[in-house]
Amino acid sequence: MSGRRAVITGLGVVACNGIGVDEFWQANREGRSGISAIDAFDTTGFASTIGGQVRGFDPARYMPADTAKRVDRFVHFGLAGADMALAQSKLNVAAEDTERIGVIIGSGLGGLLFHEEQMVAAFDRGLHRINPSAVPRISPNAVASQIGIRYGFKGPNLVISTACASGANAIGEAFRKIQHGEVDVCITGGVEAPLTPFNFAAYCSMRILSKNNGHPAEASRPFDAARDGFVMGEGGAVLVLEEREHALKRGAVILAELTGYASNSGAHHMVIPDAQGTDGARVMAAAMRDAQISRVDYINAHATSTKANDAAETKAIKIVFGADAKNIPVSSTKSMIGHSLGAAGAIEAVACVQALREQFIPPTINLTHPDLECDLDYVALKGRSANIKTVLSNSFGFGNCNVALVFAAAQ
Amino acid sequence: MTNLEIEQKVKEILSKKLDVEPGKIALETRLAEDLGVDSFGAVELMFEIEEAFGLKIPDSEIEHVRRVGDIVTYLQGWLEKQPKV
Repeated sequence: MSGRRAVITGLGVVACNGIGVDEFWQANREGRSGISAIDAFDTTGFASTIGGQVRGFDPARYMPADTAKRVDRFVHFGLAGADMALAQSKLNVAAEDTERIGVIIGSGLGGLLFHEEQMVAAFDRGLHRINPSAVPRISPNAVASQIGIRYGFKGPNLVISTACASGANAIGEAFRKIQHGEVDVCITGGVEAPLTPFNFAAYCSMRILSKNNGHPAEASRPFDAARDGFVMGEGGAVLVLEEREHALKRGAVILAELTGYASNSGAHHMVIPDAQGTDGARVMAAAMRDAQISRVDYINAHATSTKANDAAETKAIKIVFGADAKNIPVSSTKSMIGHSLGAAGAIEAVACVQALREQFIPPTINLTHPDLECDLDYVALKGRSANIKTVLSNSFGFGNCNVALVFAAAQ
Repeated sequence: MTNLEIEQKVKEILSKKLDVEPGKIALETRLAEDLGVDSFGAVELMFEIEEAFGLKIPDSEIEHVRRVGDIVTYLQGWLEKQPKV
């Protein structure tokens, strides 16, 4: 490799348990759930009626009111995240070569909300009444394009769509672009706005969402014997990823470093993960090889709270670390915010960077009775202080897309 | 419907859709320059007007609309051609 290193100099996050890094991290430290009964649409008749709905989020605080009106909710999350991350990074865009700044964002579903609204309008009012901005609003790449337009970033501009691995994949590919010298800065992350009637119904049909509707905050319970599916969430996170020398030269505060990335495919089934965990193990091992390390101090697991994932991921961790697996703290921040699909890997990246900065591991809440197949140290119920220099973050998506990222403390 | 009523209704639709005070919309107000309506926005606006007045405005007419007054004039002309009850 070229020797070009990539560091994180800015973070922005919109999640159901906190908007902005401080609020989000405080909630994670305290083990506060953001799951509630969905009221974004009428859930009458749905098997699951709970989700990680973002509340109190005013898009116009982060972008011109005119823009806020013309983009889908998934783009709101991206523009808000970029606004926060760029502010923290103190990157002076006017002084930068904007052709050397890229934007790579992950989204599994794109502008689904507006898509659905327009489909309904088309059938109700006629096909000639489709909003002329439908195509550019619905397109998954609208999020990266709108960030590029807003700040004038003229480097590579991409959206990566690998289902629930999208956000992590985007961050990993941004890492490669920096390493390869294609860009000096990359605005990267993941966003998703999946709480729409059609999409929610489609996931309900798959019977993979938790039906613990009476106890929303307790519904996402990764590794617990009583887990009954994942809780769908929405939100997004954006990172300013920057070539290390570039960051040092402008005197930026380095929050953490991204040192390893790998992605692979199980080539197995669109929805069912490999039960033995071998694909997950392969991707974790490859990311650690990339980072040139053989052990990590903390694993932020994919851990969706589904029967299949949590058991397979536990097996995967054991394959990679052997007997040492039991000594490595593993936690699921999805226990607090649910699974925000294409945004998950990016929101978890924020949690990983914060864990490194604050030397604190966020908990897996609701883990009161661990599944017999899940027997690692999951930092159950309460977070804890720990000496952590490296963090591994897993993201596994439908279509057997697997991604692992390795973050290291700033040095 | 009188010409004044048409004018008032158009102003009302514009005000609501664009979030602009009704007092700031006059017949000579330009859609693009003064109200920031782009070509997509103009089509959206016509949808609202079509729904409110119950007509279909041809694309060729939408292309000619520059000012608020153009919409009002078009609607007045259209209304005059309607069979009187």
